[in-house]
Amino acid sequence: MKDTTGWVQSLVATPTQYVVGIFENLKDLQNTYEENKELKKHLEDMARLEAEVYSLEQENAELTEILKIEGSIGDYDPMQATVISRSPDRLWHEVIIVNKGSSHGVEKNMAVMTARGLIGKVKSTTPFTSTIQLLSALDPTNRISAALQGDKKLFGTIEGYDKENEWLLLKGLPVEAKIKKDEMVVTSGLGGVFPGDVPIGKVMEVVPDQFGLNQTAYIKPEADFYNISHVMILTRGMTIPKAVEENKEAQESEGDDL
Amino acid sequence: MKRFLVPLLLAFLFVFEGLFAQLFPADIFNGDYIFVPRILIIAIFFLTIYGSLKHGIIYGFVFGLLFDMVYTEIIGIYFFLFPLSAFLFWKIMKLIQTNIVLVSLVSLICVAFLEAAVYVMNLLIHITSMDFSSFAEIRLVPTLVLNLIFVIFAAFPLKRQFEKFADALRND
Repeated sequence: MKDTTGWVQSLVATPTQYVVGIFENLKDLQNTYEENKELKKHLEDMARLEAEVYSLEQENAELTEILKIEGSIGDYDPMQATVISRSPDRLWHEVIIVNKGSSHGVEKNMAVMTARGLIGKVKSTTPFTSTIQLLSALDPTNRISAALQGDKKLFGTIEGYDKENEWLLLKGLPVEAKIKKDEMVVTSGLGGVFPGDVPIGKVMEVVPDQFGLNQTAYIKPEADFYNISHVMILTRGMTIPKAVEENKEAQESEGDDL
Repeated sequence: MKRFLVPLLLAFLFVFEGLFAQLFPADIFNGDYIFVPRILIIAIFFLTIYGSLKHGIIYGFVFGLLFDMVYTEIIGIYFFLFPLSAFLFWKIMKLIQTNIVLVSLVSLICVAFLEAAVYVMNLLIHITSMDFSSFAEIRLVPTLVLNLIFVIFAAFPLKRQFEKFADALRND
């Protein structure tokens, strides 16, 4: 049943997206000049960064070879998917529907990102479509294990969304930790389902939590939760721990990445 | 052919709602407000009054179930509330005269009822913990404004279409 709707939705979505694409292209043309100037500025930085990344990657590969480490928690296989619909019942159900399903290898609880950062996880699949719950959902069971990349790596969980500022809440950080603004937050991969090192956002503000035992950081997400048209579904490269897998089968309805 | 026109129209509106949510530029007004298209239920309201109550309720159940399966994945909320609000609409319309302005206004009132009922349901099952005033500000009022615009454009075509449908039913 849901596949049939998915098929109809993609049938309608494809031509509409084409038409919308034309309009967007026209709009883009207006801003080309300004953007070009800006981009040229970035380009100079880019070349330098690229060289640096290249040498670092080489060094990393050499070192892992010396240490005989196989794979890292950050390894993943991206799968490209196109958004065919979005739940009109927004605010309660921030979900999008994409055109890849279990027959393409999508599984429940996989991480989903756009080019800029993590946007959510797979909530359910059918053979040809899958439903993705966005991080901006108000659902309290929407939890993701995350790491804060400061001087020392700090771990916490992404729990909840602040609708007013459109910030995510990173909870469970140790109270004595000094957290600076603009530090990067990535997935930790320790939940067992998500790959590690997928960017989530930047720290905006830190407050002590209700009982003063932990700290809560407000995270400004990197990705835009509104204008999503193409997403990547990530298959974890590292093996999924057995406990998580058994747990998943035991409670299919409750899908936390914890 | 005529027989399939109403289900096809409703199915199109169903897909249209999903597409609208996807393509509507959500960041106007800083993304502070959420606009929910409710054109499908408005069409069902019009069907109860210009077509027949029986058809309105049946389509309410069918599309409520479909809505639950595809968009919310919690079976029951819309499955229950679509027919209920259609019935409520029909009850109110029996008390007052059926001219198109009143039909449009009452359908908006029933959309507000539907929205509020969905909010209460979600509150009960702990999907949300938002208080009513911020719900009203973020979602209820913008939704009503959007659907007012929809109704202004769609009222006459919908009325004509369902009256034709009712005629066809009577002739059968």
